This record gives sequence, C-alpha cells and structure tokens, in this order.
Amino acid sequence: MILKNALLFIPFLVFLGLLQSYLWVPTYGDQTTAGDGRLEKFISAISGDARLLNPIVAADSASGFVVSHVFDSLLEIDENLRLKPHLAKEYKVSCLATIVVGEGFSPESLLQKISPHLTSEASEIRVLEPSTLIRLIDPDGPGPLKEQEVKVTRPNRIEFSLDDVDPSFFEKSLKVLGAEYGQEVTGISAVSVSGKISEGLISIATALAPITEIRPVIDFDLRKDVTFHDGEAFDASDVKFTYEAIMDVRNLSPRRSDFEPIESIHIRDSHSVRVIYKRPFAPAIFVWSYMGILPEHLLNSVALDKEMDARGISGTARDGFGVRASKFNRSPIGTGAFKFTDWKTDESISLARNQDYFDGPPEYKELHVRIIPDSVAREVEFKAGAVDTYLADPHQVARYLKDPAYQPFTSLGLGYTYIGYNLRREPFQDVRVRRALGMAINIDEIIDYVLYGEGQRITGPYPIQTDWYNHDVLPEAYDPEKALDLLKEAGFHKNSEGFLEKNGQELRFNLISNNGNPQRKAILTIAQNSWRKLGIRCDTRLLEWAVFLKDYVNTGDFDAVVLGWGLSELDPDLYQIWHSSQTGPQQLNFVGYKNNEVDNLIENLREEYSRTRQVKMARNLHSLIAKDQPYTFLYVGRRTQVVDRKIVMVKRNESGSVVDYEKLRPTPTGNLNYFFNRWRKLEAIPDL
Amino acid sequence: MMFKYFTRALTQRIFLAFLISIIAHAVVHLAPGEPSEVDPSNPLMKPEDIAQIRMAFHLDQPLYLQYAYWIRDLVNGDLKSFKDSQPVLPKIWERFLNSLPLFFVGTLIVWCLSFPTGIYAAVNRGSKYDRLSTFGSYALISLPSFFLAYVAILWVVNNFGVPVLGMRTFGLEDASGISRFMDRVWHLVLPSFLSAMGGVAVLSRYVRSQMLEVIDQDYVRTARSKGLDEDTVIYKHALRNALLPFITMFGLMLPAMVGGSVIVEQIFAWPGLGRLGYEAILNRDYPVILTLNFIAALLTLLGTFISDVLYAVADPRIRLQ
Repeated sequence: MILKNALLFIPFLVFLGLLQSYLWVPTYGDQTTAGDGRLEKFISAISGDARLLNPIVAADSASGFVVSHVFDSLLEIDENLRLKPHLAKEYKVSCLATIVVGEGFSPESLLQKISPHLTSEASEIRVLEPSTLIRLIDPDGPGPLKEQEVKVTRPNRIEFSLDDVDPSFFEKSLKVLGAEYGQEVTGISAVSVSGKISEGLISIATALAPITEIRPVIDFDLRKDVTFHDGEAFDASDVKFTYEAIMDVRNLSPRRSDFEPIESIHIRDSHSVRVIYKRPFAPAIFVWSYMGILPEHLLNSVALDKEMDARGISGTARDGFGVRASKFNRSPIGTGAFKFTDWKTDESISLARNQDYFDGPPEYKELHVRIIPDSVAREVEFKAGAVDTYLADPHQVARYLKDPAYQPFTSLGLGYTYIGYNLRREPFQDVRVRRALGMAINIDEIIDYVLYGEGQRITGPYPIQTDWYNHDVLPEAYDPEKALDLLKEAGFHKNSEGFLEKNGQELRFNLISNNGNPQRKAILTIAQNSWRKLGIRCDTRLLEWAVFLKDYVNTGDFDAVVLGWGLSELDPDLYQIWHSSQTGPQQLNFVGYKNNEVDNLIENLREEYSRTRQVKMARNLHSLIAKDQPYTFLYVGRRTQVVDRKIVMVKRNESGSVVDYEKLRPTPTGNLNYFFNRWRKLEAIPDL
Repeated sequence: MMFKYFTRALTQRIFLAFLISIIAHAVVHLAPGEPSEVDPSNPLMKPEDIAQIRMAFHLDQPLYLQYAYWIRDLVNGDLKSFKDSQPVLPKIWERFLNSLPLFFVGTLIVWCLSFPTGIYAAVNRGSKYDRLSTFGSYALISLPSFFLAYVAILWVVNNFGVPVLGMRTFGLEDASGISRFMDRVWHLVLPSFLSAMGGVAVLSRYVRSQMLEVIDQDYVRTARSKGLDEDTVIYKHALRNALLPFITMFGLMLPAMVGGSVIVEQIFAWPGLGRLGYEAILNRDYPVILTLNFIAALLTLLGTFISDVLYAVADPRIRLQ
C-alpha cells in the first residue's frame, strides 16, 4: 500500500533530514579553539535587546552598554569617581554674576556702593545694555500645549566674571541696598506676544529677569585630533548639536530634565564651547561625563530631510520626524573606541575596534553582545566557552566561586531597598515608633536568606561606595525587646489579646508593595511576622505596579511601603526624594518627610561647587536622615559578573609593546568594565 | 449559490474584524500601566517631560481618537513602535520570517508523527501499544515545555558539545553556504521538536478517535466483507473518510503563525514573533501589541474562511445548505 508506506517513510525522511544537520555544525570545541580569531573577539551575553543606539535617547542598560563603547563624552569619570577630561582637553568652571541697575542709580554709582560688599574678586566687570528676552512660557504650569511667547525688557545691568561659583556674591550688597531695592526697579516689563497680559504672566516675566543672577559657566577646550568613525572631524558644533537634539521635544529624550539647567551653549571657536547655566546647580556638570556626542553632519535638518525623502516620508509624519526616528539609531556613528558593524535584532550586536581611537585602540578586535533572554541558557553558553562574560543570577554565583576556570567579580549596586512610612499618619509621626519598627526586623537574616548573601546593609540615602556615604552612622542592631520598650515609651501597652494599643486604639496598619518582585514579597512577609511578634497587626498586600503607583503611592493612600530607589553614583543631590517641597501628589517624597535642617542642607548642597564641602554636607545629611528614620533602610544588592579566567589586562610600555599581563580588577567603586580597552584573551589560563 | 455563500461569509468576517479591532484596542488601553517610556518611577523625569511623551504617543487623547490615530497610521504605514520609533509593519514582517521556519518544521513534525501513531493505536485498539501511546500523550501534555526544553538543552550540550541556542551558530558568517544552511537546520531541530510535542500529543489522540469512529461505520464493514485486504480497508476506505475533519485544521493553523511560541522562543533565544509580542506587552508598546493582535484576528477569520471553502470543496453536502 503506497499510502501506508508513505506514512512511515515521510516521517523517517523528515527526521533524517533534520538530524543529519548535526554533522555540519561546529562543536563548541571547534569554536573556542579554532584559529579564526576567537581570542580577538569579546562576547558578552545580556538578557534583552537594545532599543536605540543613540546616547540622547538610550534609556535601557543594553543600549547604554553599546553606546558607551561607540560614543565619547566630553568628560569622563575616573577610577575614583572624579571628573577627568576626555573629548574635552580641558574644562574650567567659572561664573557670571549680574545685578540690575535700579532706579536712581547709574552703573558707576551702583558699583561704587556695592563693591566693598562683594564676597569674591571679579576678574572682569561689564555694563550690559538694556535687552529684550524672549521665552516660551506656560502660565498654567507644565503642559506642552498652552505655551505662550513672552517678551521681557530688562534695564541696564552690571555683569561680573568670577573665577569660582559664588552663590552668595551679592548677598551683602543687597542688604546694603535695602529691601525696597528690588521693588523700585521699574525697567522690567513683560510683553506677551501672543496673548493677553495677566497677573500670572507678569510674575513669571519678573521671575525671568530677577534683580541679581548667578550663572555658572563651563568652558570646554575640545581635542582637535578626534574624528568620527566616518572620517568627519569632531568639533564644537557637534557638542552644541547634541544639546539641541536633547532639548528638541520631537526626540522625547529621557535626559531632557538633566539638561534643563543649561541656559545656552555658545561656540567660541571651532574647538571651544561655553556652556552657561541658568542658576547655580552643582550636579549639572556630571551630564557631560555620560552624554555621548552625536555627529552633527549626519543628523542635522539637512541630513534628516534627505533621509525622509529616501524613505518616502511625507505629510504630517515629516513634522514629527526627529533624531529619534532616524535610521542612525540602528547603525550609529560616534567617536568611540569601537565602531558599530552589525545589529541582528534580538540576536546580537557587533562592534569592531576603532584603530584610530584618540586614546589608543583597544586590545580586542571585535566586541559582540549576544542577546540570550533565559538565564539558564546564558549559563550554558558561558560554560561552553561561547560567551566570555555574563551577569550571574544570585543562585548561580556559588558555582563560580570555587571553579578555577572563571573569575567572578562582585560589586555593590547603586540602588537600595527600604520600608517607607507615611509620616502624615499616626503612629508614624513618632520617631520612636519608626525606630522600633526597624529594630524589630532582622535585616541580616533577610540578606542571608532572601538575597543568598548577595547584599549589604545600609543606613542612609547614599550609595555605600561613594564618598557621600557616612560610615560613622552605624546600623541599628536587631533588638525586639528594645523595640518593645521604645513602643511602650511612645505610649503603647499590650491589651488583653496581646496586641499593642494606645488610648484604646490598636496599633494596626497596612504594608504594601508592587507585584512581580520576589524579594519585596519576601520582605513583606518577614516584616509582617516580625511585627506580629511585638504585638502589631500588619496587613500586607501586593499590587500591580501601575495600580500601586497610581492609586496608592501618588495619592499618599498607604501606611507603609516596601520599595527601592536607583541612584546615581556621582550626584549627591537629594532634592526630589527628601526635600519638603516634593511631598505633593506624584512627587517622590511621597512619605511626606519634612525637616527644615535637611531642606537647607539639600538646597545649599545643590549650589556648592567645592568637593570637600560637598562631602561634608552630604555626610551630614546622611546622619540627619538616619536619625529621623523616615525609612527603615534595608540593604543594597550585590551583582556578580563572571568572566573567563583566560581574559587578562595588558600592560604596555610607552613604545606600545606588551610588557606584562595583570589580573582583571574592578575600580574601587566596583566598575569592572572601566579598564575594558586593556582586556585581552590568552590561549591558556595564565599564572597570575 | 456558491458565490452567494462566499460573499456572505466574507462580509460577515469583515464586519467582525472591525468589531474585534475596536474591542482589542479598548482592552489593551484599559489595562493598567503605561508605556515604559512614560516611566513614573524614574526620579529624573519631570511631569513636563512625561506630559510631552504622552502627547507624542497620543495617550492624552480620548480613546476613540487614539483608535482613529492607530487605524490611520496603520493604513498609511506610518505606525511606529513606541520602543524604538521603527515602523511596526516591517518589524513584524522581519520577525514573521524568523518564526516561519520554526512554525513550518514544527507543524511538519506534528503531522508526520501524529498520523502513524494515531492510526496504529486505532487499528490495535486496547493493545499494549495503544495504552502506551495514550500514556505518552498525557505525559507530554502534562509536562511543561520549559522543563523539557531545559532538559533537552543540557542533554545535547553536555553529550554532544554543539550549540543549540538561537537561529544560527554565532560567528559562522564566513562558512560556506551549505554549512550555514545546515547550521540553520540544526538550530531548528530542538525548538521545533519541543514546540511540536504538545501538538503531537493532541493530534495523535484526535487521529485515533477519528479512525475509531470511521472503522465502525457500515461502509468499512462492507469493504471488509467484499474481501478486500486489511491495508486497503484501513488506508483507502477508512482513512480517507477520517481525514475530512482535518481539512478544517489547515485553515485554523494560520493564526498560530503569528502567535509564535513564546516560551520556546524565550528559552532558545529565537528572535521570533512570540518574543516580539511578549516584550511589547511587558513594555506596553501599544502599536505593536495592537497590530499583532489585529493581524492574528484577520488570520483567524481568513483561516475559518479557508476551511469553510475547503470543506465545501471536499464535501458536496455542505454546498447545498
């Protein structure tokens, strides 16, 4: 019977056809030892694909990783988290201070009156002619639709150039001039171009032209020996263009807020740029240490027009077409140590060495990122030698610690997990209650059992590896008995059922967190159980992330939450999370923490440009917040990157020949990839 | 008669597609959450920036307008993913081409395996083989595919030392054409087997019960009593009639093409449609979710239409109604 035989033979042929392909496939052994340059390829495995390979719109870690190798920033962070020049040869922070020449004064007489009271030496003094300022504002607050153009006419002003940023430059002078000085200045007038003049508009206009202004300035001197990967030279217009692209609303750059303090960028000559800020804001300089510089010639309006024509984009779609929509983001061109070569969506991204890199070419010839979403699959590929490094899951780490073929590197993360209390509600207004709740939880046990030991306790709002962190603040020891004493001191006593109560009111509250995070879920249960032992009834609930934020956190409708913050290692600013002005709906100080001393310190810290003073203030802030315990600070997680032990760091002498190999090492703050350009893979595990 | 039947079936389905698109749009937008670009937990984002992004994605508009924008952009081909601002349709097409071989080989394995096992089980009803295949089917249905996938990957990698992840061996770009082709075939083997497992278990049961039903029919008994040999009875008289319901299954396979296999693609790092859809849902990438959903709906309707047509062609009794 033909049909019967066919039913048996077709499956047989299909299987034979499929399985014979095994004979054609190279084994892992062939791949890892073959002479076809495997040693010159570095292959990393990550879980998710990159989105946009463009520094101004990259927000995910995969894009960030690739972008950091393809693009350069003006400044760089060195091993110890200090700024150092990169694309900029040199940079200098100075400041422009201006004061309005008020009614009844001439520039000369004003200068005469205030000059004994100025707090720093000015290197240059100029008189500015009356000028007109045109700004787009929105009288009803944020919202992009209702913008109005406003013209503000300003009178004569005197401008001082200072070598340092001195926010208090005019403070004494203003006292001498008297409180009415500001009111008598009548030269400021607002003219609305496109609408009626309202009270609100005038007050906004007046705010645009204050009596005195302190505007920090950064002058960058750019390197002249840098070219983009397409051969075009890098110059000042690229820096200005990058800034403009970030501020362009069509590009939806997630970095826009970081650049908001910048007032303007001026090209002084082809390789020098001046950045003027609206107000003293010390953290603003850090943006230049991570923002890669885009090639203007490939993304300016002429280039985009050409691209739209080539892609046949017409009509309304043209208006919204910015850098974000450009094909550039899938084949980027920068100045970095590696050139982009290929991107297979959801498979791999490949880069090749930039032989002309101004800082010396990297050791590796090729850099590949493979996208492997599953963590078991990543481990399989890594152990087979097809991948050189990956970020191991906490439960996988133990397998690598003793294996001589691999080198695991553990570093502390930048985010921390905490329990936050709603300080607007009873009983959390009493610091003794908050301390007691914290003391009742055994945090070391959480780290050991929930995190498999991959974490460390923290006591305050800064990353533990930075200078801002105050190591003098000691973590509160686990002590349920003392916690009970504190609660009794706060007026609570046990009732007949064994629960704590005060004035007939039982101590009972809810503790919530977001769904989908197993660690937070475990903390919820542990906290509930620990507090139950003291006689506190705590109801826990897990909520979907969007609901959690919208209905509970943003509206302040909660008693206590388990949450985490991701922080920057550079910036000591705590304004958004801890300042009392940020306690409104949808703001980040949702626990409602208010402390005048902390407020003042946060404000001053933002205007402080001296690092030693910044460190002192930040540590002071840390101890103040730790004393108040608005959060129970829990832990910061550790992450472990495993690397093939055949990979070493090359040491070259001045003439460029290899003199020695060193073991890989991370920076003191735990950044392993900092020395990546010196990495190389050897044929056998070296004896180092 | 025939023509009228088809036009009616077609207009009904077009109306249905329109309804589905409205309901799907509403459901996707009413689910909690926002695109990951509008990330309210990012402390660096100001309300102005979030308002700006919401406006650019039309999220500040009423739902019916958002629907209109979606349809307009979809028709013009201007529809862009929130995630990377790339046009949605080419993105889906690219992933579709990646998923297609997996789907094709998987389906081939399902149909190749199910018929012989199912027919043999039916012919030898109650035998040891029959009971064993029943047990095997239930075992395959009950075992989660991610577990089988891990076992299979570890077994192959540890015993044979060849790569199995992804669509191809990484770094094989310089090899000859034939070895690259065979490499692609090899990478299909494990994922397509694993995605076929459930299908084999179900379809072989289905074949068995269809055959059993037909074997008891009068015309089979007649054929036997005519003195025909057993193979002719089973494969000519019984099997042909048992095949009729399977014609409809061809049509219904169409939507499975865009569904992809999320779990298998995720574990095997296969850049297919299932992963695209899964990641789009996690990121609330509405244009991609909606378009994929809509295409799946269209294919389902097309599939039912095709099976109606095939059935009408194969079985004259249908046409008369």
